[in-house]
Amino acid sequence: MSAGHGRADSPPSSWPAALQNPGFAGDTGEFAALSEADVRGSAYVGERPRDGGHASVAGTLPYQVGANDGEAPIFVGEYEERLQKILSRYPDRQNALLPALHMAHEIRGYLSPATMDEVAARLELAPAYVRGVASFYTMYNLGPVGKYLIQVCTNISCNLCGGDAVFEAFLKHTGTEAGETSANGLWTVMEVECLGACGFPTAVQINERYFENIRPEDVPAVLETLQ
Amino acid sequence: MAYPYTHPKEVRVLSQYFGDPEARTLKGWEARGGYQALRKALGTPREEIVNTVKASGLRGRGGAGFPTGMKWGFMPRKVEGTPHYLICNADESEPGTFKDRELMRWTPHALVEGCVIGAYAINAEHAYIYIRGEFFEAAQVMARAIEEAYAAGYLGKNILGSGIDIDLTLHLGAGAYICGEETGLLNSLEGRRGEPRVKPPYPAISGAFGKPTAVNNVESLIAAAHIVLNGADWYKQWGTEKSVGTKLFCVSGHVKRPGNYEVPLGFNFKEFIYDVCGGTPDGRPIKAVIPGGSSVPILTADELDIGMDYEAMAAAGTMLGCGSVIVMDDTTNIVKQVRRMVDFYAHESCGQCTPCREGTAWAARILRRMEQGRGVPDDIDTLLAISENMSGRTICVLSDAAAAPITSSIEKFRADYDALMAPEPGLVGAGLTGAAHGSVR
Repeated sequence: MSAGHGRADSPPSSWPAALQNPGFAGDTGEFAALSEADVRGSAYVGERPRDGGHASVAGTLPYQVGANDGEAPIFVGEYEERLQKILSRYPDRQNALLPALHMAHEIRGYLSPATMDEVAARLELAPAYVRGVASFYTMYNLGPVGKYLIQVCTNISCNLCGGDAVFEAFLKHTGTEAGETSANGLWTVMEVECLGACGFPTAVQINERYFENIRPEDVPAVLETLQ
Repeated sequence: MAYPYTHPKEVRVLSQYFGDPEARTLKGWEARGGYQALRKALGTPREEIVNTVKASGLRGRGGAGFPTGMKWGFMPRKVEGTPHYLICNADESEPGTFKDRELMRWTPHALVEGCVIGAYAINAEHAYIYIRGEFFEAAQVMARAIEEAYAAGYLGKNILGSGIDIDLTLHLGAGAYICGEETGLLNSLEGRRGEPRVKPPYPAISGAFGKPTAVNNVESLIAAAHIVLNGADWYKQWGTEKSVGTKLFCVSGHVKRPGNYEVPLGFNFKEFIYDVCGGTPDGRPIKAVIPGGSSVPILTADELDIGMDYEAMAAAGTMLGCGSVIVMDDTTNIVKQVRRMVDFYAHESCGQCTPCREGTAWAARILRRMEQGRGVPDDIDTLLAISENMSGRTICVLSDAAAAPITSSIEKFRADYDALMAPEPGLVGAGLTGAAHGSVR
């Protein structure tokens, strides 16, 4: 029994529908003339090169880039170039561990024990050490996930505005249990902690993109655009 | 201006170009007066820059409110062969906080400028921006801006012919709230588990890679750049004597106009919520407000007639923190929200310290059982005892932060807890009220 709050934590009913875009770039309020690209800065960013671009920023490419290949080699070609750039920015090769794990994760889709061992070998670190570090961070998936990892914020700001209902809606429309991958391999849905987009509840991160102002009724449309 | 809603009572210093897509490009930033602060700084002796920032009264905007100039002043005299480091803390993960994301995606060059000025001031030749891993989009915008800055000669060797070398590296986190704690961040930067370190030694003596380091929040560095350009007295025109300047406040929860707003410190909190943010969407009465992010004590609706500054918030028994305002109207189940916050801390605890590791986990379990209507009167005493043991006894203050919502909600919203007591407590103790099931995580 809850304290009788059927309506408690649902989105405030008087949010004007006109101000809510489909949730892809947040509620733009008085800036409704801005396009999604204006808000996200995607035109400014352009295409990021696999070799990382300038060494100063080489460690920051998206971590899930479409099709993942669990067998693909990691530190070869452009990715090895990227690692070299990253290594040049730190005093010790151990300091490159998080960026190296991000790269391995980007290529293979998750960090299997064998993958972590490869990273350890490349950086000359103990495999057990690398596992200890990888297991600390939530963004390193230690097992395979669906093509789309859907992370719904249910922390307080989104929770007050119906985050739990959005989470339930994603589970329902993907036909999954929390944390499990759908049979067709497309979806994994999980709760996540504050994404830092609290002014645009409910915030959802799908792979590397934020989807903001998501209400339960928006969920089918969001899934539709991804497929 | 604020994003996505503006208000005439704002003072737009840092947020002037929110919502202006041209401002994020190098050309657009220069056209708006950008990189003048950097030029001025490089022509000024380092000690003078530190003194200017000290005189301005700028306090760290990441939550602790430690005077930025003083932090820079703690750096030791530069010794040949001992590198110094400036770290920008862009790990914004405090629930309710979303200002640094906006600063980075709308004005990335402002942060590049702040990092160069900060690094120069403390004799650092390498600065790192530690940005939380989830902020991919903001990180890509920052990456593009950093590349533009290198190409234009604002970064790298012999910046603008000054003879000064400063490199900037963008480092992505991997999902850990505790890496927003400065020493947890340093460990994470070094390729370790992001576990906080015992202080002393403080980062100014032994920080990144064991070298003298200053860790500053995104907003602090950008504000410092403005102060270097315009002077300490200019900054003092806003705010109170001890809480100088303007601040970005993040507003979320049950408000008509959520988003970021920039107002002078000392602005009246009640006026801020009801006028600037429009009050609650349905006009329902406010039940509770968190003024500074989930880690600060909760206020009731009667306690809002205070200034939004460090001193007034402390006097009211809470903290300004990072200025993340979370508004809850009277439909809110306080116990549920406290449980959710404690779940967050339990999840994010690094596990080093027993009071935090065990305390957050057990408090979360008790709160979940209470939320399900199976509380017993002893639970209140147990939660208070756990909170007492979690405060002031650990390596970092995540533990104290987790205790804040628990103790403040028990003190001020006791009725919400009492309403969830089991009708027959004896059966709860005997485990006879049905399967105890936790959350899915």
